[in-house]
Amino acid sequence: MEVFVQQVFNGIMLGSTYAVVAVGLTLVFGILHIPNFAHGHFYMLGAYLTFFLVTSWKIDFWPALVLSAVLLALLGVLVERIVFRPMRDQPHVNAFISAIGTLMFLEAFVMVVWGPQGHRIPNPYPETVNLLGVVTTQQRLLVIAAAVVLIVLLHLFIKKTVMGATIEAVAQNREGAMLVGINVDRVSSVTFAVSAATAAIAASMVAPIFMVSPTMGALLGMKAFIVVILGGLGSVPGAIVGGYILGIVEALGGGYISADYKDVFAFGALILILAIKPTGLFGKEVG
Amino acid sequence: MGSNGAGKTTLFRTVAGVLKPCRGTIEFQGKQIHRLSPDRIVSLGLSLCPEGRQLFPQLSVYKNLLLGAYTRRKEMSRVRKTMEWVYELFPVLKERRNQPAGTLSGGEQQMLAIGRALMSEPEMLLLDEPTMGLAPLVVRRIAEVIKEINRAGTTVFLSEQNANIALMITERGYVLENGRIVLEGPSPELLENATVKRAYLGA
Ligand SMILES: Nc1ncnc2c1ncn2[C@@H]1O[C@H](COP(=O)(O)OP(=O)(O)OP(=O)(O)O)[C@@H](O)[C@H]1O
Ligand SMILES: [Mg+2]
Repeated sequence: MEVFVQQVFNGIMLGSTYAVVAVGLTLVFGILHIPNFAHGHFYMLGAYLTFFLVTSWKIDFWPALVLSAVLLALLGVLVERIVFRPMRDQPHVNAFISAIGTLMFLEAFVMVVWGPQGHRIPNPYPETVNLLGVVTTQQRLLVIAAAVVLIVLLHLFIKKTVMGATIEAVAQNREGAMLVGINVDRVSSVTFAVSAATAAIAASMVAPIFMVSPTMGALLGMKAFIVVILGGLGSVPGAIVGGYILGIVEALGGGYISADYKDVFAFGALILILAIKPTGLFGKEVG
Repeated sequence: MGSNGAGKTTLFRTVAGVLKPCRGTIEFQGKQIHRLSPDRIVSLGLSLCPEGRQLFPQLSVYKNLLLGAYTRRKEMSRVRKTMEWVYELFPVLKERRNQPAGTLSGGEQQMLAIGRALMSEPEMLLLDEPTMGLAPLVVRRIAEVIKEINRAGTTVFLSEQNANIALMITERGYVLENGRIVLEGPSPELLENATVKRAYLGA
């Protein structure tokens, strides 16, 4: 029982990261109608920038995180502008190739600047906490809390602000959005900024717990992609629920069976859910 | 007026800025608009209620209308007044204001599309086949509302295959064939025109 509770807790922590990163991916999917394969690499770069600011510039953890999020927002805008926008009226495969080019560029950039080896951000809150029998660290609790705060803020942004409404409008009917006077280019920029910034925050939160390395983006990007399919393409609630499910499945599988196979459980869950419900948990038929 | 494939929708979408013309110019209130983006054109006071409606299906009726006023989002008190007027024109929209637009009937969706286009308070409203596929009763209601919109001071530019309705509620008519105007004149005269009668009124 104790192992079970401990593993569920670990799963929620892993799932917090997956959920936040997947929401960003699904928002961009709604706008572009293709997945941004470089999303995991935004996450990776976000972690590296926080690492750099904390270790080289000696900035405190929180300001470093905010700065990293702002820089990633700018990078998101830039990537949308020069990588995806020119591909908009082209076959989707062109945007796929552009995205892959972008992720290779980002990975190579990090490799050149910081080297292929892993790095560690000094943990700002390493004290252990005993929470109802679960032994954990403050930083792990913060990862979970930060994800909840981010998800609530994103929800309020999308549902309660005009700018959020324009993101939904463009996702649901691009031409309709143009005809009511929405500047679709600006909405694309904002969506990329939000998506990249939230990925940077999620990455910076877990970076003190795990290592940062140039390849961390590829695996996480793949998992976020699984989550988005699991939850239903373009669905925000689906991405959130899917993220936590994936985290818990991985942690339980890893804890009870073997940690070496935890990614097998992740992909297994994907295959199972898609076999039962091909449009994903919250999926609608794409109209 | 024009039969299937005459080029009505293409003309309207070009005026609204969704399509760009290869050549020629489009002027609105003395200003060339054919190089402007659709959102700039809406801000100038020209709004298109498109064929196929192009609503936001998962957003509520209310939010669809609110987004229709996107270019006026800084003047919320006026927006609320316009919304009241739209609800007066189509009371059913008020009843269903919290329902997702995609769950409305075809006629209600058309009303919402017209309402949404009115929310930007256009000087000129382009309506592309607003009666297509609707029951006679709904068609009559929409025809009344079009006249009402016009009385309230908005120029209405209507595209129809239903020539009877179109000529009854408009002042001037233009017949489009293969993308060109082949006939134009005051609507009552076109209603009596032998060619129009043969080709569009089924007489
Ligand atoms: N000015 C034009 N130049 C070249 N092609 C055109 C032009 N106008 C229309 N077309 C073509 O004609 C076809 C039908 O046009 P459109 O959809 O505008 O017709 P419509 O009058 O709206 O028909 P419907 O009554 O069926 O809605 C389309 O394939 C369109 O690309
Ligand atoms: Mg048409």
